[in-house]
Amino acid sequence: MAEASEDSGSKIKITVKTPKEKKDVEVSGEGTIKELKEVVGKAFGTAVEQVCLIFAGKILKDADTLQQHGIKDGLTVHLVIKSVNKTQEQAATRAAQVNSTASGQQPDGPPAPPDVSATPFGLGGLGGLPGLGGLGMGSVNFMEMQQRMQRELTTNPQLVQQLMDNPMVQQMMSNPDVMRQLITGNPQMRDLMERNPEISHMLNNPELMRQTMELARNPAMLQELMRSQDRAMNNLESLPGGFNALQRMYRDVQEPMMSAAQEQFGGNPFASLVGNSAGGTSGQQQGQENTDPLPNPWSGNRSTSSTTTTSSGTGVFNTPGMQSLLSQMSSNPQLMQNMIQAPYMQAMLQSLSADPELAQQMMASNPMFAGNPQLQEYMRNMLPTFLQQMQNPDMQQLMTNPRALNAIMQIQQGMQALQTEAPTLLSSFGMPGMSNPPANLGVPVTTAPTSTPSTTTSGDTNTSGEASDTTNTAPSDTQAATGEMTTITNSSSASRSSTSETGQAAQPTGPDPLSNFMAQMMQMMASGQASLPPEQRYAAQLEQLAAMGFVNREANIQALNATLGDVNAAIDRLLQQR
Amino acid sequence: MAVCLLDEKSNVGEDLLNQQDCDNGLKIPRSFRLLEELERGEKSTTEGFVTWGMDKDTSWFDFDGPVQWSCTIIGPPKTTCESRIYDLSIECGPDYPEFPPVVRFKTKINMKGVDSNGRLNPKEIPLLSDWKSQTTICAILQDIRKRMAHKDNNKLPQPPENATYS
Repeated sequence: MAEASEDSGSKIKITVKTPKEKKDVEVSGEGTIKELKEVVGKAFGTAVEQVCLIFAGKILKDADTLQQHGIKDGLTVHLVIKSVNKTQEQAATRAAQVNSTASGQQPDGPPAPPDVSATPFGLGGLGGLPGLGGLGMGSVNFMEMQQRMQRELTTNPQLVQQLMDNPMVQQMMSNPDVMRQLITGNPQMRDLMERNPEISHMLNNPELMRQTMELARNPAMLQELMRSQDRAMNNLESLPGGFNALQRMYRDVQEPMMSAAQEQFGGNPFASLVGNSAGGTSGQQQGQENTDPLPNPWSGNRSTSSTTTTSSGTGVFNTPGMQSLLSQMSSNPQLMQNMIQAPYMQAMLQSLSADPELAQQMMASNPMFAGNPQLQEYMRNMLPTFLQQMQNPDMQQLMTNPRALNAIMQIQQGMQALQTEAPTLLSSFGMPGMSNPPANLGVPVTTAPTSTPSTTTSGDTNTSGEASDTTNTAPSDTQAATGEMTTITNSSSASRSSTSETGQAAQPTGPDPLSNFMAQMMQMMASGQASLPPEQRYAAQLEQLAAMGFVNREANIQALNATLGDVNAAIDRLLQQR
Repeated sequence: MAVCLLDEKSNVGEDLLNQQDCDNGLKIPRSFRLLEELERGEKSTTEGFVTWGMDKDTSWFDFDGPVQWSCTIIGPPKTTCESRIYDLSIECGPDYPEFPPVVRFKTKINMKGVDSNGRLNPKEIPLLSDWKSQTTICAILQDIRKRMAHKDNNKLPQPPENATYS
């Protein structure tokens, strides 16, 4: 869309065509038809009353606006210059003479046949007087402004971010109705909601929605908000009738905050400090700001054993809505991809890595991890590495490239197969994820707590070298993917060994939960279920294609197979095949 | 290859539309076809004697149901319809483009093949009775305009301008 989007008074260029000639005029994109007619009348040297404009099968009425008719930059409007000369209507050759004399002085009277021809010369040289478009701006009402805004929002993600920081918009965001309208106005979002009714459910919870959006924008602000909360509540208590509200708020907000706090500190605000100095495994917690009056209530229950009754999981990340979003995220790779590509996601990732605690909490409340304390433990240790990798552009590219993900998955599957077929072979290689921790795992232990630098140099330890050895059967174009994979397994093996040293890890025998987890994650990311037939694997995409009208299911499946589930690429392919 | 039925030179959807009859079991989805025609209507690659567009609230999501086009035809010269603007509606049913759309005049017109309610009798219009799926809205409108200038119609007395069928 080439629509100018700088400010409210932006000009758009419209081509005005008569059967004989064609001129470009400039008007305000939010103007009315009347304004357009005035400009056109000047350009073609005709009285405004004689100007009859047609766009896309409709005669334009003075009171309408350009937006109502969807007249945008670069589109064409047809001009019919009505003749005011009724009597000579059978004469076919009178056109030019009428136009040169007609300047609106004739009475309107009975309807006269319009004259199609326009003046080939005349006042058109004035160039359409751009200033005229700005007149009558007062008639632009709020709805139109909103429509325009919506359109711009959908076309410019960068703008969204800017907008979010705008104080006016922030105020608007506190109005749930406006928010909902905005979001439902987004066609993509609407589409998503139609397919996933749960999301629309989420939208009906304005509080959650707003918090989520604000969090996406600025997690620090959220923390700040929470910190000031208890003070605000003190003030509220002194208001008449405020106590009831306070009670409710207490139930909804304060209690989970308190319980979260208790969980985090074990009842003693300084307990974590002690724990920090004592436990070698909780290295990340040193990044936490212990001077905060209150911890982040949005944190999940950090250890599953310490669940308090109902309120334990009421933080944002533990609300049912968020949980369902998370699980949907993991089951819908498309959504995941979109999210990762969104600009605010980058910002979030950055803030996540700046605050490992937050990331940790998010991870802990993910349904995938929630039921598995061991996994959480691993995750916590892996996090800094993982986050750094997430920020690595290569890695992000990898995550959004279905082919690469598939390749990784194949590697993973191959490794699993190898593990079951020839466990001894693997153990002699010193691979992570088999039952007996090999002796050389002691090497990465020293690097584990500060494992961030080691991630980029994947060949510096024994294990990683061996890992890439086992995977070098992969096609050469997945070389980069293999490298990334190795670092993941490497760092995870490192963290695994470090945790096992402190005795908090799972029993060293039996199936390694980590490798299970890795397999699970890979499967989820790579649009999952590679073992399933394509009809099921690409069910969602097939549905999408069918909804667009691609009725040939066989061809759809073929295209999806070839494009690894990328709907857009599949459409291109289908259209080309014809 | 299909013979191009359209008389304008460069139009956006031409390649796609012309390719259609060499389909190998694949056909352009209805929504794509409609979008293409919509785009052509808005960009107005034609000479402007005929225009067509959708009601602004018609969106991609409504493309499954019947689609209503609003169209105009500017009466051809040397006829009783000269320079008049005729409003038409064209409704593409769910089977479009396999089946022809229903064409109706909104502005009153005296013309062969148009009944007293403004409906165009498909039997009188070969383009509609021998429907081919690659025929476009644009082609229909241009055919109608040609008919206005035909000697059967061009001398017919016309109702007062701007009168509409109820």
